[in-house]
This record gives sequence, C-alpha cells and structure tokens, in this order.
Amino acid sequence: MLLAGAWTVAAPPARGAGLPAAEPKLLAPEEAFRFSARALDAHTLEVRFDIADGYYLYRDKLGFEADAALGTPALPEALRKHDAFFGEVLTYRGRLVVRVPVPSGVAGQSLALKAASQGCADAGVCYPPSLQQVKVALPAAGAGAGPLVEPERKKGWFN
Amino acid sequence: MLAPPDPDPAARRSSWRRWALVAGVVAIALIAGIELARYGYRAADEARAAAALLAVELPDPSGRVQRIDQWRGKVLVVNFWATWCVPCREEMPGFIKAQAASGGRGLQFVGIAVDKPEPVQRFASELGLNYPTLIGGLPAMVLSRELGNRLVALPFTIVLDRGGRVVATHLGPVKPADLHAIVDPLLQP
Repeated sequence: MLLAGAWTVAAPPARGAGLPAAEPKLLAPEEAFRFSARALDAHTLEVRFDIADGYYLYRDKLGFEADAALGTPALPEALRKHDAFFGEVLTYRGRLVVRVPVPSGVAGQSLALKAASQGCADAGVCYPPSLQQVKVALPAAGAGAGPLVEPERKKGWFN
Repeated sequence: MLAPPDPDPAARRSSWRRWALVAGVVAIALIAGIELARYGYRAADEARAAAALLAVELPDPSGRVQRIDQWRGKVLVVNFWATWCVPCREEMPGFIKAQAASGGRGLQFVGIAVDKPEPVQRFASELGLNYPTLIGGLPAMVLSRELGNRLVALPFTIVLDRGGRVVATHLGPVKPADLHAIVDPLLQP
C-alpha cells in the first residue's frame, strides 16, 4: 500500500518513534474530482466530473439539486465492482458527464447548481461526502451551449 | 605622519571568519528560534485539538450519547471510518485482533463512523466488532484536520497515550506491525 508506514508522530515525538514520515501525495477532493457544469441548451445542464487517475466516485452518492426543480439526471453506465459488504457497487472513473434536465421556466436565467459526490483513492483513502456549487447561466430558448463553469476555489495564504 | 599600519591580510581574513561565524551562529539561532516557536505552536494546537477530541460526545449505534474521555487513562486508538470506505473496513479485523490481545493491558480502540447508524450496526455485528464505535463523526472529522488530517479523509487513526496526549496520527490503512510499534511501548506499566 502506498500509504503504509506514513505515520506522523506528534510533537513532541513519542519514545522510540522516528521522524515524521513524508505526507503521502494525495489530491484534495476538489482536485481529485474536478467538478464543472454548463448549459447545453435552454433545458439541459451538463455536469462533469473529471476524475483523476487512481480515484473513483460512487454512483449512488451522486446528487444534484438547484434553486429550481431538476429532472432525473441521465447517469451513464457505471463500473461494477463486487463489494463484500454492500454487494454490487457502481463507480465511475475518468470523465463522468451527466445530463440533467432543467424545467422550461428558467430559460434565460441563472441557476445555482449543487452537486453532491463522494469517492475514494486507490491508494487507500476515502473522502467524506462533498457538496460543490456553481452558478450556470441558462441560454434563452433556441440558443446554444454556454461555457463550462467551475466552482470558485477558496485559496488561503497557506494552501 | 605615520600611516596606520596596513592590517595584515591574515588578520583581516581571520576577522572576516569571525564575522562569518557570528553571522552564521545568529542565523542558526534565528532559524532554531522560529522552528522552536512553530514546534511550540504545533504542540499547543495539537494539545488543544486532542482535548477537543476527548470532549467529543457522539451517539453509539443504539443512540446513547458517549463521551470519548470516558476512556481516558487507557492507551486510546481513535479510528475515523465508514462502511462506504473499503480501506477502512479492510484494516478493522487487525484492530479487532489488537483489541482482543491487548485490551486487558489498557488498549482501547474507539471508532468514529462518518456514516449512518444502520449500516454501522450491521457491519459491526457481521465483523464481530469488539470495541465501541460512535456515529456521525463529520464535525469530529473536521477536528481531525488540526491533528494532521489535512485532507479530512478516511481512514484516519489517532493514538493517544494514557495522559490523553496525541502520540501519532496516520492517514490511510494502518499496518498491524506499525501500530504495535507505536502502541506497545505505551502499554508498558
């Protein structure tokens, strides 16, 4: 396992314990599962997750909601994996593209889309459920696709 | 008029060396001071986070609220996990073994599940979990960030000594041998 042995010994160090091990190279969840969305047309949203190599998302933990009632998301076929506890588990890797129908009343307006997701890294860690949000401007009826929008990253001084 | 004697080049070199030495010592002292202060801050942050962790109150799967510091005085291994986290589940049989082997010497595992009660209860009984696990640990997990869980990911394991001091933390599955190496010296009377 990639992470085995990466113990961090607290300050002050424990008796007999070595120096703090280098932190394993793991992506922050918003980097591992890059979320973006755009309007395909006046009544369809396209939601994307660009999943980094070595990471996967759970299909049944995906959820979409907005300030207008959304239609049923069209989830593509997922990878099937047998899980000793849950039985069959469906996951996504690589690029996940989901089409989400939007009610006709919001054409030409802006929609605050919230996407819930949750996944793990093959290296042996999982991330808690995450909720990301973007504002997508829906085109007027008859107009074409809009630009891809990514959530704003909060950047602190030290990260 | 007598010109001041030209300083001997060797003496000049030696005075330079002295200055370089002094500057070096000052720089080292400065860096050491900064590092020491950072170390102190980190230790203080960790102590605060450890105290906050021990004060956490969470329900067990049956709904009874439990406080982590009821196990104070033992060598405590707090493990953040979830049933949906495969690497978490995979390391738990090792914890069960260690709890069975060393529980009598004061080793106490406590699970904090970032999960719902039903799957936790089902998994615990399927696995024959022999240590308590509490539910709904997302706020407690945020606390684990202060203890080095930068990504707030699972599984995350914290070892506290009998005095409630954080001895070690680990992100990712724990190797039983690594756990023994950290825990065994703490169990000695």
